[in-house]
Amino acid sequence: MNIASSLAIIALAALIHASFQLSVSVLTLLGGHAIGAKKSQAKVLRLTTSFVFGVGVMTVLLLSFVSLVLLDVFGGQTPQVVWAIGCGLLFGVGVAVWLFYYRRAKGTSLWIPRPIASYLHERTKATGRSAEAFSLGLTSVLGELIFIIAPIAISALVLIQLSPVWQLVGIATYAVISLLSLTIIWVLIGSGHKLSHIQEWREANKYFLQFAAGSGLIILGFYVYVVEVLGSTVGGV
Amino acid sequence: MSLAIDIIKRNGQRPSENFSREKLHASILAACLSVRTPVGQAESIAHAVSDSVISWLETKPEVTSHDVRRITVKHLRTHHPDAAYIYEQHRLTI
Repeated sequence: MNIASSLAIIALAALIHASFQLSVSVLTLLGGHAIGAKKSQAKVLRLTTSFVFGVGVMTVLLLSFVSLVLLDVFGGQTPQVVWAIGCGLLFGVGVAVWLFYYRRAKGTSLWIPRPIASYLHERTKATGRSAEAFSLGLTSVLGELIFIIAPIAISALVLIQLSPVWQLVGIATYAVISLLSLTIIWVLIGSGHKLSHIQEWREANKYFLQFAAGSGLIILGFYVYVVEVLGSTVGGV
Repeated sequence: MSLAIDIIKRNGQRPSENFSREKLHASILAACLSVRTPVGQAESIAHAVSDSVISWLETKPEVTSHDVRRITVKHLRTHHPDAAYIYEQHRLTI
């Protein structure tokens, strides 16, 4: 696989990651609590910035960790069966996202374990310092691990085939693109938009986002399967 | 100010507590402020909605927190639909 294809797969995986909504929900709530508690706009901006930074750091750590483990186990030559398992994970999570991502009720509640959702909700309410917002960002990435593990795993498989410099470029590309949706919400909150309008848009479009994320995972799985499993099998014959 | 009314929290999963006007007022105020309502207007809306909820509560010996939330949203919607939406969505966001 050439560098352009590798970066394209990483970019698509990161875009799918960006469409997952737990961190966006937590950021919306955090903004609401901070503004509702009469905090200054500068303080609101500091809290939300720290949160986004926390999400970015945990995303980079997670991707690097998975890449390191895969590199340690397989070296630069990943067996085809591992690619097939990675594609299976993408298909499986894609179908699960289609079926289960949002709860069938009002609002934007997600199919994540309720204790995790309650914990994030309570912590969001209690967050008043930048360091707390940063750690909330770290935690919220772990909260949606069940969904983001598929794009992260396939990106890690692609990353370990690249040279060290391109690995860094790939990790940076993944981190920047996966933060796109969060950055948009951060800009909207920072520029004084009403949270009700942001939440209304999210609620009105939640099934579209769910369909897009699920479809993206399946398309990515299909592409990687054709290139890495079928392509090398046919090429080998 | 506390009325002698028991609020049953989350269908009895948490201990009941006395109704607190301050707590209700603070939650409505926070919802109004979070949609960028000026402080003075937010205070008067919180005051008016709290009064309406208390007059509804006076005829009841005990209610659930869900009922209080529902009635609050109903009254808040007449004053400030955006704040009512945020108030309603608060527990439905994550």
